Amino acid sequence: VNAEVGLTRVVHVVRELDLGARTTYSAGHLTVCETSVRDLLRDPALAETRLMCASPGDSARIVGVLDAIQPCSKGPGGGGVFPGLLGPAMPVGRGSTHVLRGAAVLAAGYLPRAQEAIIDMSGPAAALSPLAATHNLVVEFTPAEDAPWEDVDAALRRGLVKVAAHLAEAALDAEPDAVEELDEPGSPAANGKPRVGVILNLQTQGKFKDVFVYGRSLSGGLPTVISPCELDDGAVVSGQFGHPALKNPTYLHQTHPVVAALRASDDVELAALILCPEPVNQADKELVSAHAARLCKQLKLDAAIATKEGGGNADADVSLKMDRLEEEGIAAVGILAEMAGRDGTGPPLVVPPTKATALVSTGNYDERMILPAVERALGSPRIALLDQDSTDEIELPVAAIYCAQSTLGWGRLTCAENA
Amino acid sequence: MKIVHYVNQFFAGMGGEDSAGTGPELRDGPTGPGRKLASLLGDDHEIVATAICGDDYAASHREFAAELVAQASERGAEMVIAGPAFTSGRYGMACARIAAAAAEAGLPALASMHPENPGLGEAAGTAVVESGLTARQMKVSLEGFATAALKVAAGEELTAQDGRIGPVARTNRMAETNAADRAVALVIARLGGDKDATEIPLPDFDQVTPAAPIADATQSVFALVTEGGFVPDGNPDRLESARATKWVRYSLEGLESAEPGQFMSVHGGFSTQWANADPNRILPLDVARMMEKEGAIGRLHGEFLATTGNGTTVADARRFGMEWAADLRQQGIQAAILTAT
Repeated sequence: VNAEVGLTRVVHVVRELDLGARTTYSAGHLTVCETSVRDLLRDPALAETRLMCASPGDSARIVGVLDAIQPCSKGPGGGGVFPGLLGPAMPVGRGSTHVLRGAAVLAAGYLPRAQEAIIDMSGPAAALSPLAATHNLVVEFTPAEDAPWEDVDAALRRGLVKVAAHLAEAALDAEPDAVEELDEPGSPAANGKPRVGVILNLQTQGKFKDVFVYGRSLSGGLPTVISPCELDDGAVVSGQFGHPALKNPTYLHQTHPVVAALRASDDVELAALILCPEPVNQADKELVSAHAARLCKQLKLDAAIATKEGGGNADADVSLKMDRLEEEGIAAVGILAEMAGRDGTGPPLVVPPTKATALVSTGNYDERMILPAVERALGSPRIALLDQDSTDEIELPVAAIYCAQSTLGWGRLTCAENA
Repeated sequence: MKIVHYVNQFFAGMGGEDSAGTGPELRDGPTGPGRKLASLLGDDHEIVATAICGDDYAASHREFAAELVAQASERGAEMVIAGPAFTSGRYGMACARIAAAAAEAGLPALASMHPENPGLGEAAGTAVVESGLTARQMKVSLEGFATAALKVAAGEELTAQDGRIGPVARTNRMAETNAADRAVALVIARLGGDKDATEIPLPDFDQVTPAAPIADATQSVFALVTEGGFVPDGNPDRLESARATKWVRYSLEGLESAEPGQFMSVHGGFSTQWANADPNRILPLDVARMMEKEGAIGRLHGEFLATTGNGTTVADARRFGMEWAADLRQQGIQAAILTAT
């Protein structure tokens, strides 16, 4: 065990999920105690919560998906994960953490500014959402009368992290499926390989469009460097509900795909993780981008991969950083979604880089697809965007599919010119 | 083959900007550049009529295209061609829409304009061939247009070698590996000296030349327009909060200020809390009325135009802009204040 630095990830795979009298985990079977979980979710801002399960392959559609979290725990009582929300706001990312791989807890329903996000657990859209491949505990909710929406949002966020820790605690004594040692940057094993940083832009654009680091918004701040292992312990929790396809829920921060790809690479070293706010105005975007590039220079990085959250304006947060990195002599790669119109003939980016060129595409946001009717709907009986029943056959842009184009890079969706 | 050829009011000899509001009409035989085009097309083809519309009218009445194509069909048209429009934006948009409407009606169709014409994106996949920059290149433009038209008439697909222009569609597909792995591969390629590797070719953005300043604000009519998702309370026409495909217009007659409860913003890209607390923050009606009373501006236009600029495609935004400009010009507006959010 890396007692000094780094994190031991103790993996328990979930292959089956249901509700029952007690929360238990055994041989891949997670049973969730409805009463305990609803107790954890209890809050003056919530009149009622309802729990449901949705598993891969189900003829089920989850509508109005908000955040999604991978269950994780460092021990009984919940301390040490989701610092600043559940545990104390102190640095995490060391010791060992149990995770329930293949499971997620997610909230679904209405919040202001939340654009309706859709997950189909089967059919053509299932391949487009990472949460269509997990066994999901879905929390539906009715806000308390007169509760301010901000309080409803905060109650759900606090509740979900509690539930996520509670579920993983059921597996603390179970035989793990895998034990993974995660080094912190600077491990001697990486000596001599090119040093690659991950620039993680976090949306900081006001209520319902914010992301929390140690329970705090990065809004108004400058970029900061943390250990990738802190992500594994839930240091970054999402409260951003716009642009469903481009959303980076807590689940994807905990399992950050670019971090994972760099950890797995034999050719390069995962050398740093730089968190950056995504401000709303151009001058702040310029400052944050220039500052992030300076940090990368001081960290002696050879290259960096930049990602974003949100719509067109957030292209600037990636493009400006790529340009500033190239000026500092650091190779820059960006992951961006395209917004090329329904027929794919429009300019793909809102703000392209002017010096850097190396981009990975997570597909065209505007391209439409038809999703067949389903047997069961969770989250909401109606899709307000389409004014249709949630179980109907529906036609939607890729933009509405939860995480379909997340630039954290979990998915295989991309875009190219027709031959 | 019987062909109907589309030109704007200028090339039909009806006048310039002063006649840009002229409505659609069909005239027998070729007109203006159509005469030269008719001779280039040879004896197998005949321009039986010329379809004409003023640029402002065409830009602000989408339905003009379907109307003219219907009239052309009644006149026996077997093919519709439009232009060349060179770099003229409204004319290019009209040509592209005529060609698209003809294709929609099942007729072979072709438009001609310069590759930088902002109307190019309106062709909806219908063939467009390259023209010169200005009417000074009319001769060579018509030659290329006629050659391409003969190919289209013969049922052939046009390629870049025939001067075909317009964006190539990019469509979604699944890659072999996830985006994170591809990003790491791109880093390794980039560190290995490959400076060209990318999955997204960088787009070229056109530059918009600002209009000349207005001569005298105190004598000018001002319009308020916005992309702030600004609508009457309740959003009666359901303007989209993101990825807008339309714009809306509402009256300002008799209103001194944009009051909360009367107007709201449905924009999905920012918190509308402060906009809804005082809607004048999005549409500065209170200040505009004050300036109107003080005589700082001549008059405030009696309605505002609005859309939502949030994830809106460039093609739609460009179309809104051209439609707004034409609409305002037709109503005698000299200046517009666009509040951006």
